[in-house]
Amino acid sequence: MAHSFFGGVYPATRKGITRRKPMARLSQTSKEIVIPLVMCADGPATPMVRPGDPVTVGQPIARRGETGAAAHASVSGRVSAIENRPHPWGGLSPAIVIQNDDRSEPYSGHMPPMDLRRLTLEQVVERVAAAGVVGMGGGCFPTWEKIARSAGRIDTLIVNAAECEPYVTSDYRLLLERGERILRGAQALSQCLQCERAVVVTEGDKLNAVEAVERRLRRQGGGRVQILPVRTCYPLGAEKQIIQTVTGREVPPGGSPLDVKCAVFNVATVYAVHDALFMGRPLTHRAVTVTGGAVTRPRNLWVPIGTPLRHLLETCGGLREETDRMLIGGPMMGVALTNLDAPVTKDTNSLVCLTSWEHKPDIPPGVCIRCGKCVAACPMHLAPTIIRRALEDQDLEKLARYHLEDCNACGCCSFICPAQIPLVETVASASLLLKRGVAKQ
Amino acid sequence: MNAIYAPKRLPPQLRQSSTTRAMMLDVIVALTPALGMAVFFFGPRVLTLCAVSVASSVAFELLYRLLTRQSLSIGDLSACVTGLLLALSLPASAPLWVPVMGTGFAIIVVKQFYGGLGRNFMNPALAGRMLAGTLPLLMTTWPQPMQRLSSAAVDAVSAATPMSYLHEGVLPSVSLDFMFLGRRGGCIGEVSAFMLLLGLGYLLLRRVISARIPLSYLGTVAAVALLAAPEGISPPVWIAYQLMGGGLLIGAVFFATDPATSPVTPRGQVMYGVGCGLLTVLLRSYSSYPEGVGWAILTMNCAVWLLDRLGLPRRFGIGNFAATRAALGRGLRNLSEIKFVRPRLNLHIPRPREGQAPGEAYLDLLRSGLKTAGPLAAVFAVTCGVIFGVHRFTDLNTARAEIQAQHEILTQAMPQAAVGAETPYRAAGAMSIIAGYDADGHLLGYCVEVQSQGFAGPITMTVGVDLNGAVTGVAINSHSETGRVGTEAMTPGALARYVGRSGTIRTSGPNSMDAVSGATATSKAITAGVNRALNIVANLDTAGEINYEDTQ
Repeated sequence: MAHSFFGGVYPATRKGITRRKPMARLSQTSKEIVIPLVMCADGPATPMVRPGDPVTVGQPIARRGETGAAAHASVSGRVSAIENRPHPWGGLSPAIVIQNDDRSEPYSGHMPPMDLRRLTLEQVVERVAAAGVVGMGGGCFPTWEKIARSAGRIDTLIVNAAECEPYVTSDYRLLLERGERILRGAQALSQCLQCERAVVVTEGDKLNAVEAVERRLRRQGGGRVQILPVRTCYPLGAEKQIIQTVTGREVPPGGSPLDVKCAVFNVATVYAVHDALFMGRPLTHRAVTVTGGAVTRPRNLWVPIGTPLRHLLETCGGLREETDRMLIGGPMMGVALTNLDAPVTKDTNSLVCLTSWEHKPDIPPGVCIRCGKCVAACPMHLAPTIIRRALEDQDLEKLARYHLEDCNACGCCSFICPAQIPLVETVASASLLLKRGVAKQ
Repeated sequence: MNAIYAPKRLPPQLRQSSTTRAMMLDVIVALTPALGMAVFFFGPRVLTLCAVSVASSVAFELLYRLLTRQSLSIGDLSACVTGLLLALSLPASAPLWVPVMGTGFAIIVVKQFYGGLGRNFMNPALAGRMLAGTLPLLMTTWPQPMQRLSSAAVDAVSAATPMSYLHEGVLPSVSLDFMFLGRRGGCIGEVSAFMLLLGLGYLLLRRVISARIPLSYLGTVAAVALLAAPEGISPPVWIAYQLMGGGLLIGAVFFATDPATSPVTPRGQVMYGVGCGLLTVLLRSYSSYPEGVGWAILTMNCAVWLLDRLGLPRRFGIGNFAATRAALGRGLRNLSEIKFVRPRLNLHIPRPREGQAPGEAYLDLLRSGLKTAGPLAAVFAVTCGVIFGVHRFTDLNTARAEIQAQHEILTQAMPQAAVGAETPYRAAGAMSIIAGYDADGHLLGYCVEVQSQGFAGPITMTVGVDLNGAVTGVAINSHSETGRVGTEAMTPGALARYVGRSGTIRTSGPNSMDAVSGATATSKAITAGVNRALNIVANLDTAGEINYEDTQ
């Protein structure tokens, strides 16, 4: 490992709860599947079905209109309604509700599998768009756009299997159990993106996955694909940090990974791309880790997209202890869940139910003792405590000098602060104040 | 399960387990080994001192917060740490009111006046300790190790600290292993290097402090010591003594790393450590005190604001070259924005207002001008008057003549000397002792003013004696001898006979000098005076330096 990034923190990973549990299919799929139209960063998709229509597994039910990503039925049954339902990102949003008939009838109009040796960029982009693949690591950025934009302009394709969030093991199990498909997907992507190498990055605590991938690479000859185990450190999985770790290049402020000739795809996205290209399957299922001290039987699940989180929790035996917060997407950057009826979307990688003993109790923020740990921890080279002081003084001129827009809200500063000062929020509100102040002038 | 789990806290939901209080507790734990060793060497009095210091520190904090109706902050244990650190930087023989005074200054003036924990710009414990250090005699008497003072009574025998030897450029008599374990003179907490290193290890393992400040501090001192080791001493030994001597270790581990008064930016912390190291070496070598750790850290405390700005991390995604260019460009732009504004003279001519005579407006102007310029003029006038008065009533000629005469006597008594300096030495029989230095500042010898009984009255003379104990010259200040009879013995020729003599000059036998014929009594009197001066100088400290004994 030649490079590393500045700062970072080392939270207890607690991945041992689920890391040895193989990905299980749901023994009983949910009676009701809710597929939100909003599953892509740019906006809602356009529905293609009406209430009462019969659907089969893999049938497209929403297409990309002006915005959005194609959505497919993940179970067979009948559309019961298109109405507002709770969304895991918060609030209500329109969704297609399907009553499950438990027969799992496959869709007849399957896309034909493609040949690895005869891939063209146009075909790939079209197929990935038709399969509705979006960034499954949390970004929800349309993958076909990323492919189209970075083709021919990058030299390193990075497959992000770092999974630096504590508790979450879904990407790890995917890499361990379906490594072959992921490597094939990475190879296909690197081929049509015309890049020199594809690097699968994973943290060093996933050694058996690394070994499994290495064995496969030795056996079949990886070509451009290689695996790179990296020392565990949060936030390795953040886009800019993983690029810096692999290539040593820093994405310029306000720039995108393309500026440093890199493209980062989540490992689950690569898996979905593989299925779309070589098996003709649209994105209908994904891996989700249900974990946390409050869950009776924590495990990794392979679930149809649209399954309500409540159903996942019931599959895992429900809660054995009082939970005081439920989170989607890991405890560092994950959002607190407000409604258990929200469904699994394409970017839901985990449901974490924390008990009160698993995290430090909420104690009111104290005074800053200027220990400087936040400055030493910030991977984006910011100085949160100095920003905080400038915010207290309402000093816009000073705030403008501290590059607030660089903050990626990774939460390292809040995590490390011994005085429990919510520094991420401080930086966010400073940034807001600065925007308002500039607008006023 | 139907409950809606409203977020109590925005992300991240996980926090590291440490708190401010836990960090302070860790510092106390890290100080315990050094404290234990001090109790072993200096006896239970150490515990009494610490208890008094911690109790008074907490009491002052509590009192101030109560009186100013602020939230009580003793729960964060920072006052305990301040009290403990202050006690550990005192000599074990310090009277019990010293920590009380020190913590009062530290907690109230240095810490609370600036807004409490995290807002003070100077290390409170160190400021309190340096205040105590200004007291005479307190910081110059060090109890011997293994003397075991009882908890109440103090009957200290002063011991020299290793620092006073190192200050002179010689190795102290304490061996390296005793230095390492702590069997040497010094403050309570600073003696045992081993225990302090244990504390450092604990703090690093618990991630209370980062290694940047202690390592850069100690590294700088070691590097300079390596370069500047005196001749005849092997550099590794010299480095070891420099690192373990005085308060360097306790300073680098516990005082310089105080979070509130050290920079927050990693690069700033390294610069801070290097600055502390350089200042420490500078003060140790060139100040009149043998130790410089305390002043070095306090000085660097004042530079923290600047170091924080200098050490701000480079923006992510901007290369080092681009960052440097941007900083230089910013500097140039700032420089170019400096505009020289010509001072405007306010020369508007007042117009007469309604119902005013034509010249009246000028009167108003004059009056307001007088109001502002009046006090200045008054002060100026008084100052001039005082200077004129002093000049008028001082007989400058006499004063100048006196200085001239004194200078002549010095030249006569010690022709080689360029500068004479009054010394604070007092010796029986000597009216004053003046040290003579050459142009480069090297000590040449002493001019001793003595008196002896002549033929007609007392003769006052100045005898110059060099460092080898030989007479360099004799000058007569005043006498009451009359006529040719006595003055015969005071001619330059007669006086020149003494030059080069040493020991005791007799009238006969070895090392004898014949009396000048016709002025026997006067001659004998001068010889007696010279002998007395020789004797006084012989009993002075041969090294001739004033021996301050102090650390920090």
